[in-house]
Amino acid sequence: MINSFLRLSVIFVLLILLQVLLFNNIEFSGYINPYIYIMFILLLPVEISSGLLLLISFFTGLVIDFFCGSPGMHTSATVLAGFVRPYVLRLISPRDGYEAGSNPSMIIYGFKWFLLYTLIIVLIHHLVLLYLEVFRFTDFFRTLLRVILSSLFSITFILLLEYARRGK
Amino acid sequence: MRNLLNFLAKYNNLIIFLILEGIAFYLLSTGNNYHNTRIVKGVHGITRGFEQRINNARGYFRLREINQELASENILLKNTIGKLTKNEDLLFFSVSDSVYSQQYIYSTAEVIDNSVNRQKNFFTINKGKKQGLTVDMAVTSADGVAGVIVGCSDNYSIVMSLLNLDFRLSTRIRSNGYFGSLSWDGRDYMHAILSEIPQHVSVSAGDTIETTGFSAVFPEGIIVGTVNSFEKPGGDFYIIDVALKTDFRKLHYVNVIGNLRKTEQIELENSFQ
Repeated sequence: MINSFLRLSVIFVLLILLQVLLFNNIEFSGYINPYIYIMFILLLPVEISSGLLLLISFFTGLVIDFFCGSPGMHTSATVLAGFVRPYVLRLISPRDGYEAGSNPSMIIYGFKWFLLYTLIIVLIHHLVLLYLEVFRFTDFFRTLLRVILSSLFSITFILLLEYARRGK
Repeated sequence: MRNLLNFLAKYNNLIIFLILEGIAFYLLSTGNNYHNTRIVKGVHGITRGFEQRINNARGYFRLREINQELASENILLKNTIGKLTKNEDLLFFSVSDSVYSQQYIYSTAEVIDNSVNRQKNFFTINKGKKQGLTVDMAVTSADGVAGVIVGCSDNYSIVMSLLNLDFRLSTRIRSNGYFGSLSWDGRDYMHAILSEIPQHVSVSAGDTIETTGFSAVFPEGIIVGTVNSFEKPGGDFYIIDVALKTDFRKLHYVNVIGNLRKTEQIELENSFQ
């Protein structure tokens, strides 16, 4: 219990640092802004209570907002991601159900499952985030394109990070 | 009562979700009001030390380039001084004469936090109220227009970058004097859109676009960019794509320009509306 708490804290700090120091500074054209910190919400234990999950999401979004100077934007998107996560997990649950006490991970549930899981949540998160950022529906399709491109990059980086994490 | 408790137990996740989203939206609507930058300022207070350190490192790596920029600007200024001093002897007016008194005051500042990849970009500069900066002062780089100050603390100011969907600038085509409104479309940090130029005016690629000074924020004649391309859509006006002179990715040293007669101009204009 303590061990897994420590490990998640380390992951949290690492992801926030990666996001703030590296990914916030990536600027290909303005169409692509990867937000990989959402990976933290993906990695929380399967059996975590929904209330706690929401509070953690809220806090994560708040920290990112602090660093981006955009109060509320990341918070609302991340809270929504935290809210839909239990439903997504139920929707795509493997045939034998989830192992007790496990975290959603690539080694346990396989690449395909993890990809689908990441895809759904990242898309929802980015959709809300980027539309909140522009806060208008003119240029609807351009924002949609930004959502898709940014999500593709976020998902790629998250999969790479998950692959790197597999060794430990 | 029991029904209420049952209800709460059944939907407690939804209720927590709605409360947290409510807080987030409250933050979003109050904090992102572009003239009310108080929350942004508070937030920057926390992360500023961090940003300043990153910025120091960046500044060091760019010294050569900055030296060149400063040297070329120096030459330009020296030339201007040369032109001005030559005429000095011919003029016989006192400097305190109100007709010739100074209208604009200039100051320099360093950018300590900047972004170009959002839809609403702001940057922070390292001078504030104590150094005499106030809200609505113009900010320019050595090349051209950069933004307008929207919030000041004692030692720092937040500047709304030209790369912000809410930024509007009154500009004109230097060669023929027709003016229109310049705004950023959120696509590319090198380009902005100039609209409201009527289609009977002749425009060609490469024309210089400069500020008009109508808004009492920017002095007249500061370069914004050049015409990159233009199209004639259905209406009466051109849509002109302007290549910006300022490279916002390299923005480091900026000039701050205050208008000493701004209040006078605005009061007069308001009294006739």
